[in-house]
Amino acid sequence: MAISAATKAATDALAANPAPVSVGAQEVHRWMQSFTWDFDKNRTKYSTKYKMANDTKEQFKLIAKEYARMESVKDERQFGSLQDVLTRVDAANRVHPKWNESMKVISNFLEVGEYNAIAATGMLWDSATAPEQKNGYLGQVLDEIRHTNQCGYINYYFAKQGQDAAGHNDARRTRAIGPLWKGMKRVFSDGFISGDAVECSINLQLVGEACFTNPLIVAVTEWASANGDEMTPTVFLSIETDELRHMANGYQTVVSIANDEAASKYLNTDLNNAFWTQQKYFTPVLGMMFEYGSHFKVEPWVKTWNRWVYEDWGGIWIGRLGKYGVESPRSLRDAKKDAYWAHHDLFLIAYALWPTGFFRLSLPTPEEAEWYEANYPGWYDMYGKVYDEWRARGCEDPSSGFLPIQWFIENNHPIYIDRVSQVPFCPSYCKGESTLRVLEFNGKKHSFSDQWGERMWLSEPERYECQNIFEQYEGRELSEVIAEGFGLRSDGKTLISQPHTNKDGKLWTLDDIKKINCVFSDPLKAL
Amino acid sequence: MSKSSNAYNAGIMQKTGKAFADEYFSEDNQVVHESHEVVLVLKKSDELNTVVEEILLGSHKADNPTLVVEDRAGFWWLKATGKIEIDCTEVSELLGKHYSVYDLLVDVSSTIGRAYTLGETFTITSELMGLDVKLKDLAAA
Repeated sequence: MAISAATKAATDALAANPAPVSVGAQEVHRWMQSFTWDFDKNRTKYSTKYKMANDTKEQFKLIAKEYARMESVKDERQFGSLQDVLTRVDAANRVHPKWNESMKVISNFLEVGEYNAIAATGMLWDSATAPEQKNGYLGQVLDEIRHTNQCGYINYYFAKQGQDAAGHNDARRTRAIGPLWKGMKRVFSDGFISGDAVECSINLQLVGEACFTNPLIVAVTEWASANGDEMTPTVFLSIETDELRHMANGYQTVVSIANDEAASKYLNTDLNNAFWTQQKYFTPVLGMMFEYGSHFKVEPWVKTWNRWVYEDWGGIWIGRLGKYGVESPRSLRDAKKDAYWAHHDLFLIAYALWPTGFFRLSLPTPEEAEWYEANYPGWYDMYGKVYDEWRARGCEDPSSGFLPIQWFIENNHPIYIDRVSQVPFCPSYCKGESTLRVLEFNGKKHSFSDQWGERMWLSEPERYECQNIFEQYEGRELSEVIAEGFGLRSDGKTLISQPHTNKDGKLWTLDDIKKINCVFSDPLKAL
Repeated sequence: MSKSSNAYNAGIMQKTGKAFADEYFSEDNQVVHESHEVVLVLKKSDELNTVVEEILLGSHKADNPTLVVEDRAGFWWLKATGKIEIDCTEVSELLGKHYSVYDLLVDVSSTIGRAYTLGETFTITSELMGLDVKLKDLAAA
């Protein structure tokens, strides 16, 4: 009987490329690469202006069997540690209460980033034509699913085993009112999955992962350990064991377009936009979480940033690519200024808007104020004296009738939201790189804090239409908005967020907020 | 404290307050500078502690005098000029069990530089793999 054309093709292929005689992973990997497909009709959600080469390599030579074995060992070690020794020694209750609050933000936000990275790397799989490059992206899709589960699990663990579960267990339902959520979705969602596929890769892999996962997922474990948290190093360092392959995927994406004419036209602009997009949020938020959300300080955030972002990512990744035309990001000077000051600016605003959050904040103690002044000369005159005033006015006490947002109103320091990054800023009271710019489009005003976001907006204004909380809740009273936006604990009256972490301190309720009669107003309407 | 220029707190990182700010904001430091160093973050584990203590800081210490290893609580932080290489057949002999390059990757947390595997060897290098230097496959038997 005649054999089918398919069987004959397979027989011929095997004759030309004999199957390996052993099951050595890299021998199998080499053999598999000789089987390729025709990707002429690739379909992807967003196309790319770059042409990706079809001979790009995957640096770790993974096959499914070794990948699965490797990942299962990682999970066994991680869950074994959490469920055995860390539970036995009551590790979740040994965490400093301030750091417990920081982890509500870090782990919940990272979970969103990991979830969106699943779609981002799926899109890259669709875009690439090189089999090995596809193999790398496919591994990353699976990794991102793992990471989403890990972030969800660490919140579950903190909520179940630890202290003050509110915010670990139900953070996402506050996403409409929390002023940090929308900016997080700009970097962790929109930046990864919307637009040119290669530009998304630069956002996710070359900047988000190769640069900012080092402070976010590695350096954070130093702060965690210093503040009594051994769960976070167990989970986050395991997450990061996959990130090195993602960094390699990002680098190989650049390799795949290095000889494309489009790279000489667009790559530096795309890199600069991605760098500014990612740093605009990560720089102030991570700095705020590390320094203001810890009791024991590891080092000033600006030093962490200088090491991992400027010296090592800048020098080892970007600097080395200089001979291929990759330039130092043009926004670096402004980013460096932000790394020194923007987290202090953000904490001032975050503390003022504390009732809209899902985590507890606390004012710097006198010892911490000394540390800030020693490491950031000029800190006290700008920030410390304001905290002293707020404390004297009873900002922590529900019976005081004082919310720090009143200080901004009394002193005529309006808070705006940057339309592109969705990060709040106060141009009349800040030391970071923020100045007010206002533009009109389709009868609507838009505020911007910097030239880099403004430039991105000017090139595609319809992309940035997200309403901010001041527009969304204009004219509404604060306690109504908190109740509507799920900002309450399970008793239905106490706020999830609080302006202190003192376990014996009184907790603010909806009634305490209502008495103050704080009403949202859109600062752009006053212009 | 290590005096190597590759140490965790080398150079500007030793400065504090105004002295740090002056250098950080200096004109020369407003653009990135090309670096030929590589950084490796190894999650602490039974096997990786052996790799660090017995191989990188033990039998192979003389191979790369620029290598600095620092204990950062949950992980080992390594920085070297040029490259860092780990041969897993050697680790296998030391551990007394089969230990492949993929077993090593279970606890390699982060890399700054171009990392790759070839056979049972893990390498992180400052070379531009795929651009200046071709990435190799395992040679056919």
